[in-house]
Amino acid sequence: MPLPDQFTSRGDRQRTMGIMLAALLAAYVFWKVLQSPDQALQFTYNGLSVGAVYALLAMGFTVVYSTVWFFDLSYGVAAAMGAYGVFYLRSQEAVGGQYEVNNPVVNVVLGAVVAGVVAWSLHAWLYGRLRGRFGRPTLLLAGGVLAAGAGLYTVLVLAFPGEIHVLLSPVVCAVTALLAAWALRRLQRALRPRARLAPFVAAAAPVCGVAGLLCALLLAGAEGSRLYLSWVVSCLMAGAVGLALYRGLYIYMRERAHSHLVMLVASLGVLLAATAAITLVFESAPRPLPEAFGSEPWSIGGANIKGFNVFAVGVAAAGFVFLRLLLGATAFGKAARAVSDDEEVAKVVGINTTVVIAAIFFIGAVFAALAGLLSGHDTAVQPRMGLLLLVKGWIASVVGGMGSLYGAVVGGFALGLVEQFGIWDLAGEWRDLVSFVVLIVFLSFWPTGLVPRR
Amino acid sequence: MTTGFSRLAAAAARAPVVLVASRRGNVELWANLVILTWAGVFLLWQGPGFALTVGTVFAIWAILAVSLNLVVGFTGLLSIAHIGFFGIGAYAMAILTSGTSYEELRTDAIPTFGWPFFAALPVSAVAAGLVAIAVGVVLNRFRDDIFVLVTFGFAIISYSVFLNWAELTRGAFGIHDIARPAVGDLVLDSDAEFLAFAVLCLALVSLVSWLVVSSSFGRVLLAIREDEQAAEVFGYRVARYKLVVWVISAMMAGLAGGLFSSWARFVDPYSFALLESILLVSIVIIGGLATIWGSLLGVMTFVLLEEGMRFVPFLPNESIGQARQAVLGVLLVLLMLFRPQGLVGRYRL
Repeated sequence: MPLPDQFTSRGDRQRTMGIMLAALLAAYVFWKVLQSPDQALQFTYNGLSVGAVYALLAMGFTVVYSTVWFFDLSYGVAAAMGAYGVFYLRSQEAVGGQYEVNNPVVNVVLGAVVAGVVAWSLHAWLYGRLRGRFGRPTLLLAGGVLAAGAGLYTVLVLAFPGEIHVLLSPVVCAVTALLAAWALRRLQRALRPRARLAPFVAAAAPVCGVAGLLCALLLAGAEGSRLYLSWVVSCLMAGAVGLALYRGLYIYMRERAHSHLVMLVASLGVLLAATAAITLVFESAPRPLPEAFGSEPWSIGGANIKGFNVFAVGVAAAGFVFLRLLLGATAFGKAARAVSDDEEVAKVVGINTTVVIAAIFFIGAVFAALAGLLSGHDTAVQPRMGLLLLVKGWIASVVGGMGSLYGAVVGGFALGLVEQFGIWDLAGEWRDLVSFVVLIVFLSFWPTGLVPRR
Repeated sequence: MTTGFSRLAAAAARAPVVLVASRRGNVELWANLVILTWAGVFLLWQGPGFALTVGTVFAIWAILAVSLNLVVGFTGLLSIAHIGFFGIGAYAMAILTSGTSYEELRTDAIPTFGWPFFAALPVSAVAAGLVAIAVGVVLNRFRDDIFVLVTFGFAIISYSVFLNWAELTRGAFGIHDIARPAVGDLVLDSDAEFLAFAVLCLALVSLVSWLVVSSSFGRVLLAIREDEQAAEVFGYRVARYKLVVWVISAMMAGLAGGLFSSWARFVDPYSFALLESILLVSIVIIGGLATIWGSLLGVMTFVLLEEGMRFVPFLPNESIGQARQAVLGVLLVLLMLFRPQGLVGRYRL
């Protein structure tokens, strides 16, 4: 009679099989590289540029997953929104304005979402601190006015995307001034820890104001910045929608659901509805985004890579550094890790878990939107892309090791490279098949992924 | 008089509360009533032609939904891969029976066999079943979320095979001229005859799945759904049970595929895309898990939604499919929030 699994060395056998498979794969790649090194370099470049998108997706996915521990399939919505946001804002420039879209319903809905998110954020962030100093009606009125203003402003920006660089310049002015003030204050504190605030304000305010104004003026004169501003707006919109989905929907569902499959199916419903909405607004045919950087490829070491793809890899690297610092070196990161370990206990120790998780959803959606718009610029935007990118991000995070940030980056780039080398002997259409075969092989032999979560 | 009036007023004030309360208690009853009335109204209003146009679609999707419910509802395996088996059945039927009248249109000819419908239908089911054995063996390793991800994978893989293996499927061009059911000289060519045949198949499939779930085999499936480890501890070979029900369900889907391609007389890969599979799963979940009637109700909702939306003002005809998908998505979210077992279901996810 055979022994039950736990008494045999099934795990070891699996590991050995996995290592043998990996060795075979490595030998195959090595053989291929020996055959034509130039082509191998080309595939590496392609793999890296696709991998950057996958890595961004996997990072956002992993951060959300490791905080709430359910697979949020509506994550694909954020990816599609990032790409379609850019298309929406720049549709009069793409292909000579042939597919220009500007839908008042979309503008108002997004404005309402932003107003809601701003209202809730102000409430969560400031209400408790200011309640002692001002009365409740005053605070509610002020918050309401600010939120409504933010919503109207969003509608304005979305309605006139051609003037986005002028419309956004006041915001850029304010943000620059605040950033300058923050940096100066940090500097002053580092130099003289006991300095008083008032003289500092008197001295710094003009400097910051001038810096802000300068930036705003520069921006208002620079028409070339419209595309980059559209990226920012599009990412922020996706983030706002991600946050609103958590605060408005998932939070109630998580209280009731007694299995994470319920959450998975619900987020699938969100994905279905949002994909349909996107198709209704933009039609189902693929659309090109306007050219981001020059389209002529650079030749490095005998193979070509587009400047935009180098940029994508840079964005992925910057995103990784940002997340690593945010989660590893700030109080927020500590709180996020606590929530990830045990939400109940985190709540008991006084962490506002709702705020932390909402912020994580915002960040995750921004990462997805970045990945979406990078992939949209690389190929084209189409309504199905949300689903496809979601699946790729999901695979990359599983291959890397679920819930591990390093794993997400490694998994993303590994998936991109394996996909590219996998279609060397096949045609390019088989890419999706290759990535799923990788996934299944990985799950069978390495269920913990490349870099398991500690 | 005054007392009578005040009593009446009190009753009137209470009535909405009572209604809401009873509705909460009897969602099943209301769901049945509303959907069946809706169907009845449409039948009376649009006449029998309506049943002919949507009846076959209903029957084919209902076979799919009933078979998927065996896996999702009764065994608790949330599978998105079902559309793949549907596609295998459809392509088996298409390749085996397609005629040669479109030969001149073909840029890349594929082999034609010219089989009759009734010879090809079992092959559709068996082909889907054979693939399901291989897929099921792999899937048995995974659970819960990862299981869902891998079934996503099989849906995408099957779609990509249909689309890209042009030597067999003609890729995006699709296959034309697929045979209709025929016995000797009697060809079931009219819509009414095909509808009758499809409903017969639906009845057979429903009967088989009822037999499956009400047998001792079906009770083991329920045990696996509730607690896999416990079932294993009691000595049931869980993996084998899961594989068997998986293959049965896939064979039914293959049958539906054969019917579908014979009915449409044309297949292309776009009918078997991932999104269709997600729609199918949401139909099964909306209708109700672990009841055969629930699947029928879900598909009825799905079909009626499309017909109902023709009468929504300001909705152009070409966006009806998208609008229906949006409504289904919202419905799915609401059900997950308030009623995770679906409209008439017996099992909560």
